[in-house]
This record gives sequence, C-alpha cells and structure tokens, in this order.
Amino acid sequence: MADTKVVIPGDVIDTTIHMETGDGDDSVVRLGPGLTQINDSVTSISAGVLHSNPETHQHWVVSNKRRYVPAEGEPVVGVVTARHGEGYRVDIGSAHDALLPLLAFEGATKRNKPNLAVGTVVYGRVVVANPVMDPEIECYNSNTGKAEGYGELSSGFVFQCSLGLARRLMDAQAPVLNALGDEVPFEAAVGLNGRVWVHAETPAATILVTNAIRNSEFLDARQTKQMVKELLARQ
Amino acid sequence: MQRPDRREANQIRSLHCMLGQLSRVDGSAQFSSGKTSVLCGVYGPIDVKVYDEKLDRAHIEVKFRPDIGVPTTKDKWVESAVRSTFEKEVLAQLHPRTLVQINLQVRENDGSVDATAINATTMALVDAGVPMKTTVAAAACVVLKDGSIVADPTKEEAELAVSTHTFAFANGSSDGPLYVDSRGRFSMAEYNRCYDLCRLTCDRILAFMRTALESKIQKESAISAV
Repeated sequence: MADTKVVIPGDVIDTTIHMETGDGDDSVVRLGPGLTQINDSVTSISAGVLHSNPETHQHWVVSNKRRYVPAEGEPVVGVVTARHGEGYRVDIGSAHDALLPLLAFEGATKRNKPNLAVGTVVYGRVVVANPVMDPEIECYNSNTGKAEGYGELSSGFVFQCSLGLARRLMDAQAPVLNALGDEVPFEAAVGLNGRVWVHAETPAATILVTNAIRNSEFLDARQTKQMVKELLARQ
Repeated sequence: MQRPDRREANQIRSLHCMLGQLSRVDGSAQFSSGKTSVLCGVYGPIDVKVYDEKLDRAHIEVKFRPDIGVPTTKDKWVESAVRSTFEKEVLAQLHPRTLVQINLQVRENDGSVDATAINATTMALVDAGVPMKTTVAAAACVVLKDGSIVADPTKEEAELAVSTHTFAFANGSSDGPLYVDSRGRFSMAEYNRCYDLCRLTCDRILAFMRTALESKIQKESAISAV
C-alpha cells in the first residue's frame, strides 16, 4: 500500500497508469469496493480511506458500516429462521435471508444430514452473493469436503459489532483476541456480517470477552491491552 | 437593514454535525444550523415489503416527523422533497429488491427545516455507507419586504418574508439544482439572486460536510492502521 487518503462520495480518483512501471499497455485498472465508474471518471461512492496498489493497479475504499452486504467467500455467523424441503433459511443480517442447502455440511448425504432447529446459530461461508439473487451459504469447503471450522455453533453467545471491527478481528494479530487469549480460555467465531460468537467456560468469562471485544472498537493495540488488563483485574 | 441576530445578509448560522449518534440504526447524523436541528437515522439496504419491491433498484422511503405534533401535509411535502432529491443521488440500482429507509426527526425548528433535513440525510446516508454518486447540500433564503435577500432565515425572518426559496445542489457538479422550492410572489431577477446566493451557501455547507466526514474517518482509521 503506497499511499492512503480519505475520500467521500463524489471524489474523482486518479487511476492513471504510469508507463514507467513497465507492464505495458495491456495493464488493467481494477476497482474494489466503494469505487465505480461514473461517466468517464472513476468516482468514490462511499466515504472511507482510499487504498491503492500501484503494482496491480488495484484501488479500493475501506469504510466502516453496520449493515452487511454479502460478498462471496466471506465467513458469516447466521441464525436459522426456517426450514424448507431443500435447505434452511438463515438470517445473516443482510437485506435477504441466505439459503443453506441441507447437503452443504461436512459428510452430509441424502440419508444422513444434520437436523437444525429454528434458532440454531451456524457459522458458514457465503458462496453465492449477487445483488439480484438471494445469498447462499455453506457450512463446509465444497472443494475439500471438510468442515474447516464451519458448522453449527452450539451453546455460546452471539453479539453484534460494526463490520469494520469484525474485519479487524479476523486478523490473526487482532490485539484484543490475543490479549484475552493469554489470560482466559475461550472460543470465538467472527462473521464478517458483524456478528461474533464467543464461548467461554463460565458466563462471567463470556461477558468479559464480549465486553472486551466491544470496547476495543475505538482503541489502539496498547490501549486494548490496558483495557483487557483492567477488565480482568475487576473480576 | 439589520437582521435580528446581527448576521450579514449572506451569512449562515453556525453549522454543527454529529455522526453515528444512534446505536441501533445503520447510519445516523444530527445536523444543526444555529438553533434548527434535525436528526436523521438511515436503515439500508434492508428487506422490503412486497408492494414496495422494485426489481431493478432499491426503494427509498422517507419518514419525517416534526418537532411538535403529528406529521401534517407540509411535512409530507418535505418527505417527498427529500425522497426526490436522493433518488437521483443514491445508487439504488446496486441493491435491487431492497429498501433504504430514511427517518427524519426535527429536534428544534427555527426556520430552514427542509434544507437542514436534506443536509442531515446526506450525512446519515454517508455514515450508513449507502452508495451515493456524490454529497448533496441544501440552503434556504428569503426575500424580505424591502427587496433584500437573506440567507438561512430563522423562523422569525421566514414569517416576515415575501417569498422563500430552498435549493439543493450536488457536490462538484455544474448542473442545475437537484431540488427547488420557491413560495410567494417574486420576480425572475429576485429568483436568480436567490439561486446564486443558495449556490454559494451550498458550496460552504458541502465544504463543512467534507471536513466533518474526513475528521470522523481519520479518527477511526488511525486505530485500525495500528
């Protein structure tokens, strides 16, 4: 990432490809989230920080939102709302409920498939994300046939956070999860739809983990460590 | 002629904007111009009722509540004004079969409520991350009995006015206004002067909006960069 700058909707982005970089005329500009072409110029359509990669000519805007719009490949935490003949309806926080086929689980066959009740929390991956179609999720990796951590989330506790915080929690270096993990044993499943599932040994520990993650939204790494320390001391 | 609050004729009241005040909506903003203050909460894109569903774009719904009492016909007019303004600026085709709901609540009414409502809506939509072509600002002005034109009228000034004018302009476009509302008796020359004054005022408001949004994003991104 060469340079970052703040953009708001309507800002025109300079996507000029400089020929000195040396990959010739066939290089293509790639636009990521938050950018679109309006008339002849590339324009920002949301407010956030503009990121550019000069090598690949990629440009995208990182912004924080609260409403989830499904994107392919993203892990999500959802709640089963209904059961159909061929699958479940899962609320993943987007405009439309996602479809979870009955056979989209590890080792599921026509005769042996998981039976989920309405209200069950599941961790899945978005496989169909298209504005004109309802989203579809699956609870296994369809290439390997393995669960890879996806599936039903039994017991535990689910809470909501902003999509920006969820994205930061996905990072293996997320300061709040590391600071907590050193002191309290817990499991967590982060959905990029802003839902986080946590499971700890006691309700008190679950509440502690939840509060710590929620508090970390506007704190940097050092402040996060301090905050976690204070929460643990209060226990 | 001196204005009751000793402002210059083309001077607007002090602007104030708070983003993300409401915790349960997807985006919110409180926009104030002097004492006039409007709170806006935006949900979207969310599930839409079948009879509002549009196959090629998002449906935009506006709900406007005055500071006192139940919404009247005049408030319905503001609703339609906000809707028609933002239907042109929100990229609704990116989220077909969904709903973008804009809820406006007047906190205090001291004139220029329709312009402030449009400004609050812009900020809340940007805060919610609803895709937009550009930012929109609105400004009001009135023509007084002596023919003088004053910007951003208070309620007191609006009541004394011969005609009132509200214009909304998009950022960075040299095209005409997105919304015009002129009431009362006025000449074409007066209208043109009001147009020019509101255009200038909108540019100032747009600059203010940019500063407010940039400072919020900078504050948030400083943390995520660490």
